[in-house]
Amino acid sequence: MKIHPRYYPAIIITAYVIFLLIGILLGFGPERGGEGQGRNALMQFACSTLGMPT
Amino acid sequence: MTTPKPFSLAKSRRIIQWMVVIGTLVIGLRHIMPGEASRGGSFDSFCAFGGIETILPYLFSGHMLKSTNLLNFSVLLGTLGVSLAAGRAFCGWLCGLGAIQDFVAEWTRKLFGEKQHIHGRQSKAILPLRLPAIVDRPLRYAKYLALLVILIASLYMAFPPLRDFCPVRAVFGLKMTTLLWITLAVFLAGSVLVERFWCKYLCPLGAALAIFNKISPMRLVMDNHHCNNCGRCDIECSMGIADVPHQLDHPECVRCMECLDTCARDGSLTLQIGYKENQI
Repeated sequence: MKIHPRYYPAIIITAYVIFLLIGILLGFGPERGGEGQGRNALMQFACSTLGMPT
Repeated sequence: MTTPKPFSLAKSRRIIQWMVVIGTLVIGLRHIMPGEASRGGSFDSFCAFGGIETILPYLFSGHMLKSTNLLNFSVLLGTLGVSLAAGRAFCGWLCGLGAIQDFVAEWTRKLFGEKQHIHGRQSKAILPLRLPAIVDRPLRYAKYLALLVILIASLYMAFPPLRDFCPVRAVFGLKMTTLLWITLAVFLAGSVLVERFWCKYLCPLGAALAIFNKISPMRLVMDNHHCNNCGRCDIECSMGIADVPHQLDHPECVRCMECLDTCARDGSLTLQIGYKENQI
C-alpha cells in the first residue's frame, strides 16, 4: 500500500510516542531519586483483571 | 493567487531535528540545576541506549546500572517502536546526535566552498569527505564490535560502559569532564571530516537498530520503469550508501528520505507498507 510522504513524519512520531507510553504504562516510568522499581500500572491492571496476585 | 509550496520531507525533518536538539538541551539543562535527584533520574535515564546498556544486568541480576533507571526501557521501547514501523528512522529523524551531525555537515559545506546547496548536485565543498570504499567498508563494522564490547562490559560494570565517552552527554549533558571534552572534540572533528561520522562508524545504537531495516513493513520501493539511475539520490545520501535505488533496505540506511525528496522522476521511489514480494 502506498503512503504519501507527508504522513511519514507523523507516523514515526506517533509510533515513538505510543511505544514510549506503553513502556511507561508497563511501569518503566521516571523514578524519583534515580534507580528504582516501577509501579507497573498495566501489569497490575492485567493481574487484577485475571484475579492473579500482584 | 499564490500556489501552495510543494511538500518537502527535508524541511519537515529539519524542523523535527531542531525540536529534538532543543528538547535534549532542555533535559541537559534540567539536570545541571540543583536537586537533580528529585527530577526523575539523571540525564542518562532519558537515553535509549542506556536501556540497552542496562538490560543484561537487569535481566541477570535484577539490578540496573547506576545513573540509569526504568525510564531507559520506555525510551528504548519508543525507539524500537519507530524501528519496527520504519527501520532506522529514529537515527534519521529523532536522534539528537544525528541532527547535530547533519547541521555540522551543512555548516561545513558552506564553510568549505558550497555557496548554495542544490538538491541532487554534487557539492563543490572540500569537506566533509567521503572515504574510499576500501577504508569506509571495514570501519563500518566497528560499531557492531562496539555494541558487543559494551554489552559484555555492562555485565561487569557499575555504570553504563559508554557513559564516560558518551557523545550525547558531551554535546547535550552540560556536565563536562576531561574525557567528555575530548569526546566532544573528536565527535565534532569527525563530523566535519566525514558526514555522519558517528552514525557510520561508531554508534552502537545504530548497530542495534540496523536489523530493523530488513524487517520493518514501511519501506521505500524503487520502480525500474521510472528510475533512470541518475544518481541524485546517491549524492544526497548522508550515510554514503552507493547505488541507493538498489540498496533501499541497506542496514546503513537511516531512512531520512532525502533520496525520496531529491528524486526528480515521479514514481521512481515510493513509500509503501508491505514486504519484498510487493516490490516492483
